[in-house]
Amino acid sequence: MKLVGNPVSRGIVIGRVMRYEPFCPQIRESPIPAGDVPKALARYEEARRRAQAELDVLEARLRNTDKDKAKIIAAHRDILLDPAMDQEIRELVSGLKLSPDAAADRVYGAYADILAKSKNELMRERASDLLDVRARLLRCWAGAPERTLSALPGPVIVAADDLYPSDTAALDRTHVQGLITQVGGATSHTAIIARSYGIPAVLGVAGAMEELADGQTVILDAVEGVVVTEPSAEEMAAYRAGAVQSAARLQAEKICLDTEPVTLDGVRLEIRLNVAAATGHELSGAAYADGCGLFRTEFLYLNGDHLPGEKEQFEAYRKVLEAFGTKPVVLRTMDIGGDKQLPALDLPRESNPFLGVRGLRLSLGRMDLFRTQVRAALRASAYGNLKIMMPMVGGLDEVRAARTVFDEEGSALDAAGIPWDHGLALGIMVEVPSIALIADIAVREVDFISVGTNDLTQYLCAADRMNSAVRQYYQEYHPAVFRLLAHLAEVCRRAGKDISVCGELGGDPLAIPALAGMGICRLSMGAASLAGAKRVVRAMRLSEARALAAEVLQLGTHGEIRARLQAFAQEKGII
Amino acid sequence: MYRREITVVNATGLHARPASEFVTLAGRYQSRIQLQRAGEETQYNAKSMIMLMTMGLAQGETATLSAEGEDEREAVDALAELVANMQD
Repeated sequence: MKLVGNPVSRGIVIGRVMRYEPFCPQIRESPIPAGDVPKALARYEEARRRAQAELDVLEARLRNTDKDKAKIIAAHRDILLDPAMDQEIRELVSGLKLSPDAAADRVYGAYADILAKSKNELMRERASDLLDVRARLLRCWAGAPERTLSALPGPVIVAADDLYPSDTAALDRTHVQGLITQVGGATSHTAIIARSYGIPAVLGVAGAMEELADGQTVILDAVEGVVVTEPSAEEMAAYRAGAVQSAARLQAEKICLDTEPVTLDGVRLEIRLNVAAATGHELSGAAYADGCGLFRTEFLYLNGDHLPGEKEQFEAYRKVLEAFGTKPVVLRTMDIGGDKQLPALDLPRESNPFLGVRGLRLSLGRMDLFRTQVRAALRASAYGNLKIMMPMVGGLDEVRAARTVFDEEGSALDAAGIPWDHGLALGIMVEVPSIALIADIAVREVDFISVGTNDLTQYLCAADRMNSAVRQYYQEYHPAVFRLLAHLAEVCRRAGKDISVCGELGGDPLAIPALAGMGICRLSMGAASLAGAKRVVRAMRLSEARALAAEVLQLGTHGEIRARLQAFAQEKGII
Repeated sequence: MYRREITVVNATGLHARPASEFVTLAGRYQSRIQLQRAGEETQYNAKSMIMLMTMGLAQGETATLSAEGEDEREAVDALAELVANMQD
């Protein structure tokens, strides 16, 4: 049978399924009978032994492949075997008659809280280690098997309901052949991570977890968006041939990768790269791009085990800046919230996260995190051509508040004699309609704008991009999106400010001619889209693109615009 | 019961690797070993990394190191010497 979903990261792979279902502990809240204490303590001891055995195996496996991870696992074992916490847990069981799982939950939680408030950065990082060990101990207590994506025994196609950014960030890239999830579309974070690692992925596959069994062989066709279960011999042969063909097509596009994005009438566009996890695979695109138009720094925070300190961030930023040499790198301050939740922060659950505390709103509410990031970024600016922009801006009050932080941290660096780029450009993402509609005023206070079309579209269309039930209303070619983009382009042209598009639309071969025609000649996209985008630019004339844009702006529906863009692309031999 | 005053001399304080060395050495003795920060009531188990991290003794701070058991004297002396010579 065939399951269908969104192909978000291209490729075809045949492999075995591994179901990924994270364990949710059910803590026993009620006290245990006094007579059960010895039995409960014996079961606790057994759970602890099991957890220790798991850590031993994990450490042995990692020792030769990933020394840093092996050290973390060894530290986890020390925590598990810590005599003081062990004693406290036993006292709560014997004294208060707490069930051992409730006792462990409480003791680990209490010390994690203390460490999380420490002034010392290293100590704060240990808090999440404690929570990690607690989760392992509670799982062993429940007798549930370990499920992790960080150290897989062999090659697998991972199937899950949904993946947290922390799951995907810890992904064992050597063994994950493909990803299938029930939730998520082309703009979800799982999609972005899959693309940045070059892992084929089909997301939003309804019924995947009901249909797919552990160890089952499937064909994952992340070109068409199909998962073929129990494939016949003919299907296997056909897909193997298809896999060869898709590799050939990618090869043909690659020929364009090393070319200049110049239109047939001689206009040079700027094609920039979006960088997420800053993997080698991603940064290898730097040579073929005119800089980095979007460096998503939240991936540093989403690793799950700790909050990144100033030094760690500074080094990560410097690495990306150095990969791009003299080319510009647009760093986006942390865009957390919405579909990007942060395990290490324990943020309150919101009923409408996309309309809640996300992006710059979160930064301004958590000045400690924001200032650390601003300092790290300013320090890194001495090592390349850095620009900084802020996400989820709704009005000028936020821009001014953020600018104050930049000014203060810059002065503090000056006072400490630490170099940074004083000419550094500060810009904003335009995703929220309220800032888009006062763009003419906003551009007086910022150096550039970059349009995040994914969020702009969901806010304009009032359609949650993570909710597959409203997929038909999330229309990336909605006339309102194009009209607003044309307005922004005109505003920036008059004000002499830079505008770029860094959402999915910017790398979309159908949309690129219309965007260029509106005067948006700076586009940023994932590594996988670079070659295709250059091919489009080289196949068209800007004069034709202008006529196309004028036409598109008079069309009334998503379907009409898509049809017009497709016709143009066919005419030019782009698709 | 045998006790001695100690002063943290290294810059990191009793954190990270120095704390780990301290805990490892404390673990070699049978005695119950405890640390108490100068001017505070709370006793911290000196064989526990988590307690040492929670306590967070910084450079220049003093604490009382005490032990109770067969090897209390050896334990306290060895640990006091380790702290006095600790380097980052």
